[in-house]
Amino acid sequence: MIINISKIQHFSVGDGDGIRTTVFFKGCNLRCPWCHNPENLTSSPCSMACPGKPGKEILGKYVFPGEILSELLEDKDFYEASGGGITFSGGEVMLQADGAAELGRLLKNEGVSVTIDTAGSIPYTEFEKLNTFVDEYLYDIKTADSEKYRSIGGNLSLVTDNLSRLIRDSKSVRVRIPLIPGFNTDIPSINSVGKLLSSLKITDADLIPFHRLGSSKYEALGLEYRYRDTEPLSSDELGIIEKEYSKYMKIKVEK
Amino acid sequence: MKIFRELNKELKEKREGSYTPYYYRYLGYKKDLAARPADLRANGIHSLFTATTPVILKNELIAGNRLSLFTNNINPVVLEYAKNTVDRFRERWFETCRDHFAPDYRRILSLGIPGFINEIDASLLRHRNDGEKCETLRSMRLTLVGFSEMIGNYISAAEKSLTDKEYNKERLEGIINTGRALLKGKPSSFKEALQLVWYCHNAFLMEERYAMALGRLDQYLYPFYKNDTEKGLITDDEVTELLENIFIRLQDDVVNICIGGQNVRGECEINGLSLCILRAVGNCNVPGPNLSLRLTKNTPDEFLDECLKVIGTGLGYPAIMNDDINIAALKKYGYDEEDVYDYCMVGCIENFISGKQPPWSDSIFNTPGFLDFVFNDGISETGHTVGINTGRLESIKTMDDFMHAYERQLEYGADEYYSRINSASDSLNQKYIPDPFMSCFCYDCIGRGLDIHNGGAKYPSVHGAVTMGIGTVSDSLAAIEKVVFIDKEATLEEFRDALNSNFEGYEVLREKLLAAPKYGNNDDFVDKYAVWFIDYLSSLFEKYHTYDGGRFYIAAAANINNIYSGSVTNATPDGRKRGEPLSDAASPGYGRDTKGPTSTVNSVSKPDYTKVACGTVVNQKYSPEMFSDEKRGKLLAIIRTLFKKGGQEIQINATSREILKKAMDEPENYSDLVVRVSGFSAFYVTLDRAVQLDILNRTQHE
Repeated sequence: MIINISKIQHFSVGDGDGIRTTVFFKGCNLRCPWCHNPENLTSSPCSMACPGKPGKEILGKYVFPGEILSELLEDKDFYEASGGGITFSGGEVMLQADGAAELGRLLKNEGVSVTIDTAGSIPYTEFEKLNTFVDEYLYDIKTADSEKYRSIGGNLSLVTDNLSRLIRDSKSVRVRIPLIPGFNTDIPSINSVGKLLSSLKITDADLIPFHRLGSSKYEALGLEYRYRDTEPLSSDELGIIEKEYSKYMKIKVEK
Repeated sequence: MKIFRELNKELKEKREGSYTPYYYRYLGYKKDLAARPADLRANGIHSLFTATTPVILKNELIAGNRLSLFTNNINPVVLEYAKNTVDRFRERWFETCRDHFAPDYRRILSLGIPGFINEIDASLLRHRNDGEKCETLRSMRLTLVGFSEMIGNYISAAEKSLTDKEYNKERLEGIINTGRALLKGKPSSFKEALQLVWYCHNAFLMEERYAMALGRLDQYLYPFYKNDTEKGLITDDEVTELLENIFIRLQDDVVNICIGGQNVRGECEINGLSLCILRAVGNCNVPGPNLSLRLTKNTPDEFLDECLKVIGTGLGYPAIMNDDINIAALKKYGYDEEDVYDYCMVGCIENFISGKQPPWSDSIFNTPGFLDFVFNDGISETGHTVGINTGRLESIKTMDDFMHAYERQLEYGADEYYSRINSASDSLNQKYIPDPFMSCFCYDCIGRGLDIHNGGAKYPSVHGAVTMGIGTVSDSLAAIEKVVFIDKEATLEEFRDALNSNFEGYEVLREKLLAAPKYGNNDDFVDKYAVWFIDYLSSLFEKYHTYDGGRFYIAAAANINNIYSGSVTNATPDGRKRGEPLSDAASPGYGRDTKGPTSTVNSVSKPDYTKVACGTVVNQKYSPEMFSDEKRGKLLAIIRTLFKKGGQEIQINATSREILKKAMDEPENYSDLVVRVSGFSAFYVTLDRAVQLDILNRTQHE
């Protein structure tokens, strides 16, 4: 089973525990306008002009999971020393569940832990292909408003349904909430997400504040970035949001 | 405000007059200008220690400074004459074992000054029929007597200040009582022991020595610390305060302090005092106390984490050494086992057998520079240097041929290097420039009745050939192999022309060179050359001996000499342009380790560093966020994994590029910004612009 990836990034320190290597899967079924990995939206290869470097970098290649295994195992000593492992991110990994499962199986055989970063708007049958090989899901909840979910291409009931099934199947899940100014940071939005997660017995969540570090990628790809002029949340605003969410669960703000 | 901050202010106050240690030395020399060398030096040192009244600062908990060596109102003609007289009796310099020495503090702490003098007297008795040895011993004795008198003068100065209301009576009494105890016998408390060490260190500073290491401070002071803390005589906070009081004075110097390490039984020797030292260095936050951690497998993670917190302040200390590798490296040189396990570092990172060998020396071996000779018939126009002619480029048909030619250049270069170092030592008559005071602090000069440079030291002197540019060389060889011999996209003649024209008109070729595999990305194609680099160079220097029969080590460290060496090195086949810095120390080339720190570690741990007895430096820079409570564990895992894989050293800078850039633009606002340079730390704004840029350009991870 072949997989379509854009990049393998060593020493990822933002996605999951310890020192990790992240495999970015190409292609996504959502279209969040704030996305900071726009190169992974489409499944077709794209070319990106890197500042300071001549020529363009082609992102996106089809590989067999076994082909990239040795590169992923290069840092095995670091995973062991730090409690880290491999993260599959994207794009939406679950769109390539068969290939991801094969890669997961290979890594499991090597004793390497696998974390999957997903937005969850995919039929649960895809999760079932992967559950055996995955140690933890980083699971995005972007809003509790089904209309808003639809506006970015997602399906709220599918997202919540999958989340409760993962919990029922005893999978380790870490819920992550992106904080997008103007989309989900007003008090009513926070409360509805809080209530939704409480009803699913979620006790912990990470808040991921909006940043614009991906804006240069839009430029390099020749795409328009609708969030280019959106200011990141101030620490005061973050404080208010954190306090509000803390009414419902234990909160960690990613920095 | 903390006492050490007040002391720092006091130290920075402007002084009347000029700093003239030579004048006081002259006063001793002139007592008998025709004296034999040892007596002459001893007279000079005795006078340096005693001819002037010591100064006590209000915030000194531990006495000892050099302010007494200022002169005022001395006729300039006399000063000039004094300077000329002193200069006539040459002094040693770095390459001829002047400083970079870790004195045998353990021994003086166990015997005290009177005990040391007794030992000399006993040795005089044993050697009474050997005139030369008696002369040497008498000269040592005179310097120690002068040293005692100086402590007596400190006591008197403190007594005089008792009536001065600006002084704190309790502090002065502390200095008086401690001094009296030291004159009477061996130290019996932590404070007395630290005061004795500081009086000694300050005496070496008065002799104008630089980079005198304090060595394993947490080990030789530990018995005093343990006794006093167990009996409740002193708290950790008080210990830290005393240490701060001396560390704050170590600015403008590179004073190596070693903590941790294992003993012969493999037990980690970290103790409560190690933590006090770490905290005191962190609190002072000045360059100068060059803290080194001998990290063992069983050093608690909690201690390493404390070290990372200090590093995270931006200080860059401690540098972290792989104890297992250093011990394995030193064991190859025939030192007694207990001496190997008691090693420390001097200067930046150089391994040293504490108090048992003459001062360290090293020099630059510009490894990448020899590539130019292969391409240009043995003549480097850029370096203004000449190698040998290893034949026409057409005759080089394979990569093996190229390596053979390069190795022949290096072999010749090593001979040339050796001749340069030894002609420097040979130019000195070892008996003509004795060091009687320093000899007292090197085992077994007293027992043998011999000067430290003349067979007194237990082990002979060692020299370190500091090999430049492991990254530049590896990348260059990989580029030649790939582009010339595998892809066959250019000939060696085209390489030569491209290098000699600094790539002007050869931009396309340069792109190919830049695209070849680079050291630091865990790619064996290029990493194999780094393995070769260490293997070959260490074997190359094995055959040489120093003037007194010691060995040549190699080092993979650069200090900041990769910048100078780069400035006199032609363009190199890795795509580096003429004059640009070489790769730094044992690190990959700037910005060429693009896969992140784990891949860098995977690469730099491939060479066999047990062949690098002097030591290596691997610089990594992380943004401050990596030092947060949440992420620091990842750095810890990086260090542990590097060492598990056989890496020898790592030092970490924690300053963001933004701050460094701002500091270059607004130096006035960043006068206290300390950064790790190479084997040492410095105030960033005081560095040359080239060095600043260099630090800025070191790959920053995350």
